[in-house]
Amino acid sequence: MACFAFAAAVSLPSQAADSMPGYIWNEMYPEKLQALRAQGDAKRGAVAFEGCQGCHRAGALGRVDGSYPRLAGQHDTVLIKQMTDVRAGIRENPKMLPFADKEALSVQEIADIAAYLRSLPPSTDNGVGPGDRLARGADLYTRDCRSCHGANGEGDASRFYPRVAGQHFKYLFREVVQIRDGGRRNSDPRMLNAVRGYSNDDVSAVADHMARLRAPISAVGK
Amino acid sequence: MTFRLLPRRHWQIVVVTAAVTCFPVSPGAAQPAAPEVVKTLCAGCHGADGNSVAPTFPKLAGQSAAYLEKQLLDYLAGRRRGEIMASILPQLNKSDVPGIAAFYAAQPIQPAPTENAKAAAAGKKIYDDGNVDSGVPACGGCHGDKGEGNDRYPRVGGQFPAYTLIQMQEFKSGKRNNDKGKVMRAVAERMTDAEMQAVSEYLAALK
Repeated sequence: MACFAFAAAVSLPSQAADSMPGYIWNEMYPEKLQALRAQGDAKRGAVAFEGCQGCHRAGALGRVDGSYPRLAGQHDTVLIKQMTDVRAGIRENPKMLPFADKEALSVQEIADIAAYLRSLPPSTDNGVGPGDRLARGADLYTRDCRSCHGANGEGDASRFYPRVAGQHFKYLFREVVQIRDGGRRNSDPRMLNAVRGYSNDDVSAVADHMARLRAPISAVGK
Repeated sequence: MTFRLLPRRHWQIVVVTAAVTCFPVSPGAAQPAAPEVVKTLCAGCHGADGNSVAPTFPKLAGQSAAYLEKQLLDYLAGRRRGEIMASILPQLNKSDVPGIAAFYAAQPIQPAPTENAKAAAAGKKIYDDGNVDSGVPACGGCHGDKGEGNDRYPRVGGQFPAYTLIQMQEFKSGKRNNDKGKVMRAVAERMTDAEMQAVSEYLAALK
């Protein structure tokens, strides 16, 4: 069963995270483990997601203005990590917290929502960037991002690396800047190292490249 | 006499006819008669068909049965409080609740369009899109595109603006706190008075 296979399939948190003050990459606290081990049900997830779609919109396509990310087709492991990290305060997100907090969602519902979102097809109408520095963006992506996020931006469910293909440009830009500047501290230390020296122009170029990548959604969940 | 008296397919017709006769529930069937408790306890304020005439009393017509049941049980348990409802609670039995809820849920709501078109237009924008800057979600995400609600979230379409506004204000202040998962309180806390008023005006015309 998929829910038992995950323990062998996912890599354990990197020790390097401990050496980054204030950064907590992927601590396996009990709630996260519980959600990862739960068998998510996409039908129940569609119901639980009602409380999310006021922001993430129907079909979880997010908003082109980047205010809310596209979640359709994202890996279930990534979604569970992010939801539980928000609940744990490791990813500080006061806008989202009341809708994902313990009063609002059970651990099982987190797994259900993740199963639902993973199964949703991302459409190709996401927001993209200005398109004027795509060659630079492609170079940066190949050099710094591809080994984790994949040739087509498909991410890696087993390592909790998000799918970036087809994400809204403005969201990608904001999050990379926040990770670079310390506003978002639940990323892999490798991510921080990769973008530490990026100018805003470089972030924009690589975000534009990622927003234009297309990758099929993964056929199986965790 | 044996069952072979009728060919097999004819017996099927007999059985189906009997079933339809015994359980005459089908779309378009006549509305069920109001339970006695609706007539004696509820209709005076909320109307015989759940379309009350004054905004002091919310319209219950077309409200989801699950939501009506929850509210009545919350009143009985003290989780929701209101001066007028408090005066009738001693006469309300828990066993009456499902019948009241089912009856009002089955009644069609009569919306009351607002005359404040400008506020309604502003309200539609918030209802459909939320307020990205302050983190107000689109109301329709939970309450449905037309305010129709479902088993989990109440119908808000067609309601009196004054009633809707008071509920949002009380969620914001915490005076009303029987929302599932504190979610409505979190939303209302992020809304300005003008936004709450605009959404209330917009909802009045929805059905």
